[in-house]
Amino acid sequence: MPAGSVLLVIGPSGSGKSTLARAFVGLVPHEMAGTWSGSLRVGEMDVATTPMQRVAARAGIVFQEPESQLVMPRVEDEVAFGLENRGWTRDAMLARVPEALEIVGLGGFRRRSTAALSGGEQQRLAIADVLAPLPGLLVLDEPTANLDPPGMEQVFERIASIAATRERTLVVVEHRLDAALPLADLVLLLDGTGRQIAFGAPDEVGRAHAAELDRLGSWVPRAWSAWAGRPGDAGDRVASAVAATAGERARPSPRPDRAGEPVLEAAAVTVRYPFAPGGIGRPAVEDVSFSLCPGERAALVGPNGSGKSTLLFALAGLRRPASGTVRVAGAGGRVDPSRLPGRQLARTLGLVFQNPELGFVASTCAGEVAAGLPTSGRSAGPGDSSVAEALRDFGLAPLADENPFRLSEGEQRRLSIAAASVTRPAVLLLDEPTFGLDRRGADAVVTLLDGLRAAGQAQIMATHDPRLVPACDRVIALDAGRLVFDGTPRAFLDAPPYRPAGPWRP
Amino acid sequence: MSFLPAPLEPVRPALLTRVAPVTRLVVGIAWLVVVVLPAGPGVPLALTVAGAAALGLLSGLPLARVPARLAPLGLAALGLGVLTVLVNPANGDPAAPSVLLAGPIRIAGDAIAAGITIALRLAVIALVSVLVFATSDPTGLADSLVQQWHAPYRFAYGTLAALRIVPLLAADWAASGGVQRLRGIEPGGVGGRIRSFGRRLLVLLVTAIRRAERMALAMDARGFDADLPRGVYRPVRLGRLDLLVLVAGIGVAVAAFAIGR
Repeated sequence: MPAGSVLLVIGPSGSGKSTLARAFVGLVPHEMAGTWSGSLRVGEMDVATTPMQRVAARAGIVFQEPESQLVMPRVEDEVAFGLENRGWTRDAMLARVPEALEIVGLGGFRRRSTAALSGGEQQRLAIADVLAPLPGLLVLDEPTANLDPPGMEQVFERIASIAATRERTLVVVEHRLDAALPLADLVLLLDGTGRQIAFGAPDEVGRAHAAELDRLGSWVPRAWSAWAGRPGDAGDRVASAVAATAGERARPSPRPDRAGEPVLEAAAVTVRYPFAPGGIGRPAVEDVSFSLCPGERAALVGPNGSGKSTLLFALAGLRRPASGTVRVAGAGGRVDPSRLPGRQLARTLGLVFQNPELGFVASTCAGEVAAGLPTSGRSAGPGDSSVAEALRDFGLAPLADENPFRLSEGEQRRLSIAAASVTRPAVLLLDEPTFGLDRRGADAVVTLLDGLRAAGQAQIMATHDPRLVPACDRVIALDAGRLVFDGTPRAFLDAPPYRPAGPWRP
Repeated sequence: MSFLPAPLEPVRPALLTRVAPVTRLVVGIAWLVVVVLPAGPGVPLALTVAGAAALGLLSGLPLARVPARLAPLGLAALGLGVLTVLVNPANGDPAAPSVLLAGPIRIAGDAIAAGITIALRLAVIALVSVLVFATSDPTGLADSLVQQWHAPYRFAYGTLAALRIVPLLAADWAASGGVQRLRGIEPGGVGGRIRSFGRRLLVLLVTAIRRAERMALAMDARGFDADLPRGVYRPVRLGRLDLLVLVAGIGVAVAAFAIGR
């Protein structure tokens, strides 16, 4: 790579994109065990033989999770941290810290608390951190994966302006390729085993390899879709849903089973936390009402901190609303989920978190699926037929005896959905079900959810990914805890109820 | 979502926030040493009064929020005091003058003095912890420990990084409990509850270690733990004010001991 250019690394899950990103900054091989061969030079420096701190002085990396890369409680101290480590003088730091914050658009934020920033601001701060010591090479490993659409756009604006100066060499690893591809001078394609498929100018690589990339299950940028034989980077399922919603304006309601009685009903739900960051008593969710019918799938969207997770907790009966009611259709009519005993609740509601590991309770996948089954009468152990069936349906049969913590991200996601749905709940609540997955992984999850929906299950999925919106029957949008939109995906994507609206369109 | 209360922090500039954290720490230790020396209730009483005055006049803390924060320790102090009065060898000593006789219950004057002493000692410990720690933000304390006492900076700033993870763990804990409840995994009996608690603890441990690993990688990539001499962005200097607070603070402790003994 010539100095000052921008490289975009593309590949399916498991293609070693993150490992490569870490190698560029010396974390591999210096901090992570493994075997190493070949040579990697950054400038005149051989990364494998140069001590870590000398590599760190020349190359910086931004990771995907804001909360596990910020160290200090205050913004300016956070930027200064990397400079202190590198032995800068105080005068040089006092001059450089405001400069670095200015570059990422956080000029007025010096004394703010890092924990009180939005996700987009935190990631821009992380970029300022690694920019401050003036590195020659800046590596960004999925810097926008955790962000809402406007946060993602802000981060890409800043990356574009840094790239435009040509003062730093940039390596970008991203799943959101449509935003990243226009910045790239060079593209590196990797296959599912970590081998290089191609390296070169974006158009040449796209023309020759887009179809192969698609076959491997990776996301493919929209600009390459003609070469890939695909309508867009969203892949088959989601893209065909876009086509379907485009033709559906004539139809009054896209909802499949509107005639059925609602299975879930929220009436004027308001939730307060005792220790609300915005001051005691400010509601996290305020006056939210909607109902959901069997077989209906709703996308729950909104900026970071708009109350999506809190609403999911309230719908699941895990947090009792300060006012308003949540009702689910249970065995004895409509009931408050927070009052249901566990076994009945499990048949009524299922919950899948963004981090599947938080729900794992067993040491094997089979045990994980079996854990939620009723144990009355004949024991429902890992050998039970319904367990084997669920594992097979979710493509996890070969992993029945594997430890859940050792699965890939996609496998963990499928396992957590299998475990949550083995009790056949009438409503499934999901938090970012396609987070971090490649196109194949996301398709697999959506296909599984389609099967459950066809059997009459209602689903609510909180998501930041506009690509997932067309795969839903309905969109429920929150802003600062209030419901600001409830309607069809088409209507939502035509006129997102947020300003700026642009980033919310897929 | 937030699961932890906001920290108690100074809301206005005050004498105690203008001195180095180590100065407050040294004075605090001096007070703690004096308060545990064997003596009657006079010593902890004097220090309680002095501590309350410092809290009100010199700390800059929002006084309206202090009682809520001190309530658990206050209750503990009261409970321990009462217990010390009731269960006291002096009550059974016929030589000790009694102040209360109600049927089989006999309370000696010495027992009451011992109870008050214990309760006041705990009150002083609570006041000192608020005066020393609530007036220091964690960054300032780490800076001061590293610069004045040459504490290892890996430890000091590593602890700061770890503190950031605590609220996330609280959210993880709530999430793991929620998933288990919705999957119908409801522990039956004491054994079941213990097993369920253990499983959630294991999940919490795994996610905590993963977060810590990612944090450590991010810190390494930014040159933390390099062999280079470290730069200082926030110098903490000891000045005349520190000397004043140090002398006055230790002076109060010595005077309290001299008067109250």
